[in-house]
Amino acid sequence: MIVFKALSALLSYPSADLQAAIPAINAALHDEGLLGPQRQAALKPLLARLAEGDLIDLQEDYVLLFDRSRTLSLNLFEHIHGESRDRGGAMVDLLETYRAAGFDLAGPELPDHLPVLLEFLSTQDLATAQEILADAGHILVALAERLTRRGTPYAAVLEALVALSEARPDSEEARILLAEEDDNPEDLAALDAVWAESQVTFGPDPNAGCPISRDALARMAVPPATAR
Amino acid sequence: MSHLLDRLNFLSSLRQNTFSGGHGQTTTESRDWEDAYRERWRHDKIVRSTHGVNCTGSCSWKIYVKSGIVTWETQQTDYPRTRPDLPNHEPRGCARGASYSWYLYSANRVKTPLIRGKLYRMWRDLRRKMSPIEAWTAIQNAPEKREGYTRTRGKGGFVRASWDEATEIIAAANAYTARKYGPDRVFGFSPIPAMSMVSYAAGTRYLSLLGGTCMSFYDWYCDLPPASPQTWGEQTDVPESADWYNAGFLILWGSNVPQTRTPDAHFYTEARYRGTKSAVICPDYSEAAKFGDIWLNAKQGTDAALGMAFGHVILREFHLDRQAEYFEDYVRRYSDMPMLVELEPKGDSFVPGRQLRASDFDGGLGQANNPEWKTVAYDELTGKIVVPNGSIGFRWGETGKWNLEQKADGAEVRLRLSNVLDSDYDAVVGVDFPYFGGAATNGFEVCAHPEVLTRNVPAKKITLANGRETYVATVFDLMCANYSLDRGLGGKHVASSYDADVPFTPAWAEKITGVSRDKIIHVAREFASNAEKTNGRSMVIIGAAMNHWYHMDMNYRAVINMLVMCGCVGQSGGGWAHYVGQEKLRPQTGWTPLAFALDWARPPRHMNSTSAWYAHTDQWRYETVTSAEILSPTAPAGNWKNLSLIDYNIQAERMGWLPSAPQLKTNPLEVAKAAKAAGKEIPAYVAENLKSGALQMSCEDPDAPENWPRNLFVWRSNLLGSSGKGHEYFLKHLLGTDHGVQGKDLGQEGRQKPAEAVWHDKAPEGKLDLLVTIDFRMSTTAVYADIVLPTASWYEKDDMNTSDMHPFIHPLQAAVDPAYESKTDWEIFKSIAKKFSDIVPGYLGVETDVVQLPLQHDSPGELAQAQVRDWKAGECDLIPGKTAPAYIAVERDYPNLYRRFTSLGPLMDKIGNGGKGIAWDTKTEVHHLKALNGTVTEDGATRGLARIDTAIDAAEVILMLAPETNGEVAVKAWDALSKATGRDHRHLAEVKEDEKIRFRDIAAQPRKIISSPTWSGIESEEVCYNAGWTNVHELIPWRTVSGRQQLYQDHKWMLAFGEGFVTWRPPVDLKTTGPDAMKSLGAGEKHVVLNFITPHQKWGIHSTYTDNLLMLTLNRGGPVVWISEDDARTAGIVDNDWIEVWNANGVLTARAVVSQRVKNGMCLMYHAQEKIVNTPGSQITQKRGGIHNSVTRAVLKPTHMIGGYAQLSYGFNYYGTVGSNRDEFVIVRKMNKVDWLDQPAKVEAAE
Repeated sequence: MIVFKALSALLSYPSADLQAAIPAINAALHDEGLLGPQRQAALKPLLARLAEGDLIDLQEDYVLLFDRSRTLSLNLFEHIHGESRDRGGAMVDLLETYRAAGFDLAGPELPDHLPVLLEFLSTQDLATAQEILADAGHILVALAERLTRRGTPYAAVLEALVALSEARPDSEEARILLAEEDDNPEDLAALDAVWAESQVTFGPDPNAGCPISRDALARMAVPPATAR
Repeated sequence: MSHLLDRLNFLSSLRQNTFSGGHGQTTTESRDWEDAYRERWRHDKIVRSTHGVNCTGSCSWKIYVKSGIVTWETQQTDYPRTRPDLPNHEPRGCARGASYSWYLYSANRVKTPLIRGKLYRMWRDLRRKMSPIEAWTAIQNAPEKREGYTRTRGKGGFVRASWDEATEIIAAANAYTARKYGPDRVFGFSPIPAMSMVSYAAGTRYLSLLGGTCMSFYDWYCDLPPASPQTWGEQTDVPESADWYNAGFLILWGSNVPQTRTPDAHFYTEARYRGTKSAVICPDYSEAAKFGDIWLNAKQGTDAALGMAFGHVILREFHLDRQAEYFEDYVRRYSDMPMLVELEPKGDSFVPGRQLRASDFDGGLGQANNPEWKTVAYDELTGKIVVPNGSIGFRWGETGKWNLEQKADGAEVRLRLSNVLDSDYDAVVGVDFPYFGGAATNGFEVCAHPEVLTRNVPAKKITLANGRETYVATVFDLMCANYSLDRGLGGKHVASSYDADVPFTPAWAEKITGVSRDKIIHVAREFASNAEKTNGRSMVIIGAAMNHWYHMDMNYRAVINMLVMCGCVGQSGGGWAHYVGQEKLRPQTGWTPLAFALDWARPPRHMNSTSAWYAHTDQWRYETVTSAEILSPTAPAGNWKNLSLIDYNIQAERMGWLPSAPQLKTNPLEVAKAAKAAGKEIPAYVAENLKSGALQMSCEDPDAPENWPRNLFVWRSNLLGSSGKGHEYFLKHLLGTDHGVQGKDLGQEGRQKPAEAVWHDKAPEGKLDLLVTIDFRMSTTAVYADIVLPTASWYEKDDMNTSDMHPFIHPLQAAVDPAYESKTDWEIFKSIAKKFSDIVPGYLGVETDVVQLPLQHDSPGELAQAQVRDWKAGECDLIPGKTAPAYIAVERDYPNLYRRFTSLGPLMDKIGNGGKGIAWDTKTEVHHLKALNGTVTEDGATRGLARIDTAIDAAEVILMLAPETNGEVAVKAWDALSKATGRDHRHLAEVKEDEKIRFRDIAAQPRKIISSPTWSGIESEEVCYNAGWTNVHELIPWRTVSGRQQLYQDHKWMLAFGEGFVTWRPPVDLKTTGPDAMKSLGAGEKHVVLNFITPHQKWGIHSTYTDNLLMLTLNRGGPVVWISEDDARTAGIVDNDWIEVWNANGVLTARAVVSQRVKNGMCLMYHAQEKIVNTPGSQITQKRGGIHNSVTRAVLKPTHMIGGYAQLSYGFNYYGTVGSNRDEFVIVRKMNKVDWLDQPAKVEAAE
């Protein structure tokens, strides 16, 4: 499925190679036709920018978006496991999926890097690819939404992936992920809200309960986002 | 009927339903589901590593790896045993370390080399047409090009670069700087070599081969307690944490062990179970306060007053009213208390002057060698003045008498402590002592007493050489007077009652500290009586809180005096335990050749960072403290008040006391050429031209472009996000970007300008051409860098760690390859070296460099200046290495820099190795290293030398050369010391002669180090490691003037600034909350002015982990400042409000934590909370709020600049100015608008 390969390339760090390949990518997407005309049209601004933009501007933009913003990280497990120790295990599972299919990691990227996953999917048949992609559907939905909010043309790539994965933007998992505030290295208000804490009052009533544990319990009541 | 056949005799059924009295049940269903859990915890291998973060923990961890991915980690529990009767070390580790997995794969990680886009664009363009060095030259020669990227520092705009390009730019910049300005304009800053010592050495090896400047950290961090070198001639040496268990009485003084020493705190708990009593002294109700049997909540910054009162009680009850036998014997042998001090007439009374020396007497009392460095005392046995063994004059130029045997000239002696008996003194004379307590400001209690207190002292009248008559007194008698003890000699300002209103009584201290006199007397009495009963098992664990004040020496010396009075130093379970930032680099002497390329050239360029940053970030231009404010009323005659603090520093550099960076205004490579052209030796040429003014020292004009630091490497450090006192001045002057400096400089204010430093009306902004930050996470320093290089983290590299808290050496190991494109520090500097050697031929070749070296501690240079004489003032001739720094020719082979980096150079064979004033041969070790690491087989300059290719090779060099890890070297080192002392010390290591610790050994299990003369404690089956143990038990002198614990500091500058004896000095007034700062307040706006205290926190190790969401979650998720309930009410602040905290130095924003824990009048901000996380804009600057150091500024202290004088001689990270920061006051108000500044930042980023 060339579409996955193409989208993988579009989400990679902009390079002269990529700029040169934009016409070919455009043609391939058109020829294969897995993406409907509307989705293809939505990708045009990104393709145009990548083709014509100043390379260093494109690179600065990419670093700011994907290297510096935690909530836009292209490492999928950042969004599920974050700082938990389950992340290592999840990456091992994914790596073994690649190996079972006869591939190993060649570059410095981790297995959960989205362009890596997409390149892998391009080697699989559509049904398998869609099944695997659907597992990550809710993350893709969240990323697409966040990129749209940031007003970047990269959003179209994620929207295309959402369409391909046939993920439902209104799924429960996606709703939870989306409820998380954006994090933008230039915009720290969001982080603030995430980590804000209730005030502890030393009141006359010692049995009124601890607001910290109340908050913690409330958070636990929300079903956790699942890996797969 | 028998049931025999019904009963099972040999088997039991598994099918019984229940067991354990019905509490357990056996079932038979499938247990396959358990496999899911077994699978979940599967791994291919377990690797031992540790967290090389800047903490004293050095804890061993097991890293589980599956398919090349770290899956989780757990604490290792296989430390070697301690001893019977002593608890084990395990478990070591804490929540911070355990959250480390996150960092490895964090989205915050630096994945590829990053470079400022604006710089990259220019580079790319120019590189098409030019060579790398030409391209860099073109950028530097065009001011608009240079400003194009320097002005955008800290404002985003990074792009990825390849390693090849990134190292090429760096190498080109270094080469350009070396040739244009001199290699010493390439600076490198990295702290704490003890944690990941190979990574540290990688950078400093590169810099040292280049001729660059390695910057110190310990003094800059203000973790160096200058009182330690002053008293002991020792940087810092402390007991291991296990020794707390041996203490009978433990004072925790400004140290918060349960919070900040997590893996060691169990020894504190266990000691209390054993019955040890503990007193805790800290202003706030800290975690440690909760552990104490008694809590003394002294007002912040008044510790010395408390310590003086303790000393008053101890002297009164254990030395005067009754002489505790153990104490008296101890101070007679191991302190300078019996030594004689000359009393110099001043008006109607006297002031204490120099400790008398043999040279003051006719014929030097028979001493031909260094008589001016041999102290004297009365011998009780003969009643004569003798020259006892052990003073520093015996250390150099002769052998066999540098020891603490009770001998003088081969005869037994018993030194007299006091002349107070009627038969012993000739007269009772009035001696002046300065009193600074009346000068207290900012709400510190003013106790009105005269500024000179004249007290009676029993004195002897003696005749010196040339028939000069003088009064003398013992240090002990002067000390008793200094502590204002009434000894029945009459006179004023002395007390016989603890309730007297006389300085240093408990009643006096009560007023200053707020601690009741009863508690002071109680603790002093118990501390001393425990020490008396146990021969010194009373210990003080002391923390940064005590050391970060401008007058930290008073705090520390007050404590040290108590310990010496009670015979605690050098005794198991006793002594001074300062655990702040040193983190003992145990195999130090094996490491220095690798780290500073001593195998290729000596000496390296070392710099004391405090003086360097003070000058180069232009903090001196804003100095608010004048020397008049800190001068003693008893100062000797001199021009003291006309000099500003930087002038003192310039004098110190000129006289060879402190190092310089850069050194000479002229490029040292050019100086060497000029000397050669003139046909002169370098020292003679430099001396001549310095005198004529043709050459100038850089320190005299720090703002001249020739004297700017041009390139700066920061690795293993977050200089700008954590330790940079005067953060905003760094941003303004060093980096030239947005800043929050509020105050005006001396020129704008029209105040007195420095007398010596050249003043430029317009201060430079943006001195650095290139800032390179090497880190694994996007720290504040990385955000401000021009190039960020991604480094391997602690599970991705081979390296080693040691700590002062335990005696083990253990490894960091590459459990997995460095993630993304990161590389280890060793490989990074290797690749820069390679690139440098590739591009430099034709531009730089084999060059002669002129290296300036200050008078070094532990070398004969420490006896250089018995008198203070400035050659520039015509007080003496300029003699390099004697009255000025030495100037030494060093060969640099720039094209072969890489080859030199990766092989062990020939000087180890030719000169050997050593440390702390002793030297030994290393031919055997070089031979062994060749066999172990292999030799260089490629043709060229290094063929046949031992290879240092990998980080493990580098580790083996350290392990092979260090006495602590190679028993054979340890024996050689002890033998070398035995020669100096004339006593046999070999037995301390002899049993371990065949023990050689290799990297693979420590990978198998942490290994205990071997006892070595580098350190003053030993490792044995009998005692825990404790500082000063070998001084007391092996009679090895301390490296001080008297060879004993030096409680009296007789250097002229010490006397001038009133610190001959310890006393109480209130915090200095930094005047930062004046009009410049107050102008930002609205009319009638609620606010409060508070003292600003910055202790260590619980949820991070400095700035590391403070961007870790797990740790952030455990606190408030961003920067916080703690204030008391009363102060919060005054300022209209409630808990969790956003507040603005500022003064003339800058502004920070944070949330308020309102707590009963905090004392009124102070606020407390855990230091190094990153401003990259959750920090809104300031209303004052309209920029993002700063870090804790935004409101601080370094202020130098002249007494820390002294050199060429025994223990007061320069050593890297050993002595020098320190960056204190706790005398600072700030204005605190509630923010009425929280602005996250997301829009402007975006606009700028998109420019």
